[in-house]
Amino acid sequence: MNLDNLMQVPGALAAFQYDDRGDLKSHQVKEGSELTPQVLDLLAHTCVANMAIATMEARGWEALTGQTGFEPIQGFSLIGLDWSAVVGRNHGIVVKNRDADYEAAFAALSAYGA
Amino acid sequence: MRIISQLLAIPGVIAAGEYAYRGDRFSFKGDLSPELARMASILCRSNTLSINMQSEIFSAFAEDCGCKPVQGWVVRGKEMSVCVVGNYFCFCQNAPGVFNDVMTIMRAKVGDIEENPLVYMYAKLGGDVNEKLY
Repeated sequence: MNLDNLMQVPGALAAFQYDDRGDLKSHQVKEGSELTPQVLDLLAHTCVANMAIATMEARGWEALTGQTGFEPIQGFSLIGLDWSAVVGRNHGIVVKNRDADYEAAFAALSAYGA
Repeated sequence: MRIISQLLAIPGVIAAGEYAYRGDRFSFKGDLSPELARMASILCRSNTLSINMQSEIFSAFAEDCGCKPVQGWVVRGKEMSVCVVGNYFCFCQNAPGVFNDVMTIMRAKVGDIEENPLVYMYAKLGGDVNEKLY
């Protein structure tokens, strides 16, 4: 699948696709970025793990509290010092914090089945 | 508590609070019961510790990869999101504009935005933001 659209998100440093196990399938990195395929692969694995944890927590929270609106989980974001990773189901974007538009990133990911 | 009040002033924010990295102290405002706020604090503390552990692993692959120290994390649900930056959490609806405003306030107060958050938030209006605001 084409990652060009994800690279158009404001502040995008990298876009990547991964499978359900978290293995990196494809990626694009903005020129000059220090992100490597190894980091993106690890990032994909952690995002798959965090999405699974979030789903478990959302399901438990809804059952315990009666609050709704969390499930199904649409995405997860890890906010680092300089950049944030925003991921959906099988795609993710790394955006520079200073230029990040998180809503645009999640919206772009939703087009990829997030 | 000022950050929490500022977050609650954003339309679409349901509740916001502060939790301790250690121990079980917490404070909150909004549409949560004290028991739910306590549970939310535990959940946020646990996830934050996990994310920090993950960033330590990242740094083993690339020492200056730009993620460490982690500022926070976000879970985006179907209609609601949970945003955590530092030791503050916020439950908000997924209405347009809400999420970015929440993140701007949280990162400005706890994270790394150095500019005036009002200028940052109103920059999307275009023109001379300082002139319009002040």
